[in-house]
Amino acid sequence: MTQVAPRRLDTFTLASEPGNERLALARVAGSVQDIGLSDARLERLKTAVAEATMNAIEHGNGNRPEIPVEVAVTQDGDEIIVAITDQGGEVHPEADEQEEPDLIRKLDGDQSPRGWGLFLIRNMVDAMDITTDGQRHTIWLTMRTGGAAHDERM
Amino acid sequence: MTSACEATTRALPGAAVIELSGEVDGSAAAVLTDAYERAVAAGPDNQDTVVLDFAAVDYINSTGIALIVSVLARARAERRKVVASGLSPHYREIFDITRLSDFIELFPDLDRAVSELTHPAA
Repeated sequence: MTQVAPRRLDTFTLASEPGNERLALARVAGSVQDIGLSDARLERLKTAVAEATMNAIEHGNGNRPEIPVEVAVTQDGDEIIVAITDQGGEVHPEADEQEEPDLIRKLDGDQSPRGWGLFLIRNMVDAMDITTDGQRHTIWLTMRTGGAAHDERM
Repeated sequence: MTSACEATTRALPGAAVIELSGEVDGSAAAVLTDAYERAVAAGPDNQDTVVLDFAAVDYINSTGIALIVSVLARARAERRKVVASGLSPHYREIFDITRLSDFIELFPDLDRAVSELTHPAA
């Protein structure tokens, strides 16, 4: 069986300005439009990309436009892998979201109404990993093209 | 490419309707709060149900979810029920995984929600 090398679908950078996550999700959606993702899985990937990019802009790069967020989209077999990199380094304020969101506690005022970002990302994609290399902080989002991990919810 | 959140409100017997459009994100906070206050104050009686219609909403992010949680918390504290209509399948899924749909009844569209609220089945 022939091993097919990973294929880079797109790479781009964004200025770290609030709202630019919409540019990231549109561009990633465009880069995978011919891959055969179902509409439901494409919508999940778009939400995960938007949330991860928001985190990179706000928490990683501190909303400083001169520090870019880097996005790379790769196809590896039946997987689409989106890597979103900021310069937040090891101590990343994503740690604010380590507490699992609990709606009842939020409604009772025992937990902030916020803190849904990482939770949404984890639930939208088939796998999520975070790596750091010096100041470079990368979140890796993996979505299988034919995967059914979350489709049963629909 | 982006569109600011806008809200129109109207009062029905016993229900306040908030029709949202655009993007429900962090910039929607004041719009949503103002709309809620306008909607519940506009009715002829004490509105006990608030309908959030998302049919014209094209984007909801995690901050928008937090705003919806805040509206729900306030409505519950004021003994009001919140229902939602017009969510796309994707955002219905997000309401399910966040458990918002445990507390907010979902209707496919505003007509169904209004019909159910104003003419409840016996």
